Amino acid sequence: MFNLEQSISEWRGKMLSAGIRNPDIVEELESHLREDWARRVESGESGEQAFERAVQGIGQPSVLKHEFAKTSVKKRAWLKRLNGIIDAVTGAFGSAPSWSTLTPGARWTLELARQEAPRLHHGFVGTEHVLLALLALEEGVVPNVFKRMGVEREAVRRRIENWVSRFPLSKMPGRIPYTPRVKKSLSFAAREARVSRNASVGAEHLLLGLVMEGEGIAGRVLRDFGFSPETIREEIMREADRNR
Amino acid sequence: MYAWGMIEKELVAASTEPLILSLLARGESYGYELIQEVKELSGDQIKWTDGMLYPVLHRMENNGWIKARWVEMENGRKRKYYSIKKDGHRALKDKREQWTMISAVLGGLWKGEQHV
Repeated sequence: MFNLEQSISEWRGKMLSAGIRNPDIVEELESHLREDWARRVESGESGEQAFERAVQGIGQPSVLKHEFAKTSVKKRAWLKRLNGIIDAVTGAFGSAPSWSTLTPGARWTLELARQEAPRLHHGFVGTEHVLLALLALEEGVVPNVFKRMGVEREAVRRRIENWVSRFPLSKMPGRIPYTPRVKKSLSFAAREARVSRNASVGAEHLLLGLVMEGEGIAGRVLRDFGFSPETIREEIMREADRNR
Repeated sequence: MYAWGMIEKELVAASTEPLILSLLARGESYGYELIQEVKELSGDQIKWTDGMLYPVLHRMENNGWIKARWVEMENGRKRKYYSIKKDGHRALKDKREQWTMISAVLGGLWKGEQHV
């Protein structure tokens, strides 16, 4: 006749002789074993069979011992390698684009954004300034995106200026910096351009970057007007097909 | 070391920590429950060897990502519950960014191929 307590006691003996002596670990594994056993019995397995399977599920004591011994030691070699790959990928795709990789339209946009900031008495270039500059573009994918979405650029402009007018005046330092959100949106833009195999970062990628960043004024305004990364990506691809 | 269905074992192993952190971010849990949840969520595609979860939990505890406490149940049995700590949330955020990034890169490359 199967006896759970006796079986568990024997199992504990095996764990101990394999070198798993930390009472906290044995206790935790035992707790798992009891739970798994109970569920298996509930679902109709015999006590003996349930115990055998639960013990199998926990695994060989020698293997477990080996795994627990490693918990305080350095990361496993393959994990290090994988992390190395991850770092390489994120490093390559995660930084802001350099000036030379921008299309003329994108350069013009960022220059104009720099002028929009002082016009609004802001001592920084925020996502709202980049968006205002994008709204001023008369040619290319960006104005087409707005047209296709049925969104009046003037309405977006008014919304932003409404929003930012609530901001207090601030002092003007010499060269005004990008806010962290702009930097983030720029790195999104660079990544999108690379991922879609574009040689350079265009104004449309800057727009996409703003929507993907999502938390700045530009991202929130654009979302209010119904923009999503997907709608802009689609438009970019459609435009690329048209020019092929 | 890990059992798996259709997902390669390196991938299963690499996803263990993000999975645990994500589940614990939803609330306190214990080993057995974590294993069942992952089994269910993945439609049996991700199968951990039960015992192997515990060394990972201990390592994450040593990292200061999660903390554990023993709880006595009504039936007299004990369970060790884990919960996520501040550093764990930070680690989860990093991992989330990395996985999202990789997924976006692959997605972009494959999307491009369809158009060729």
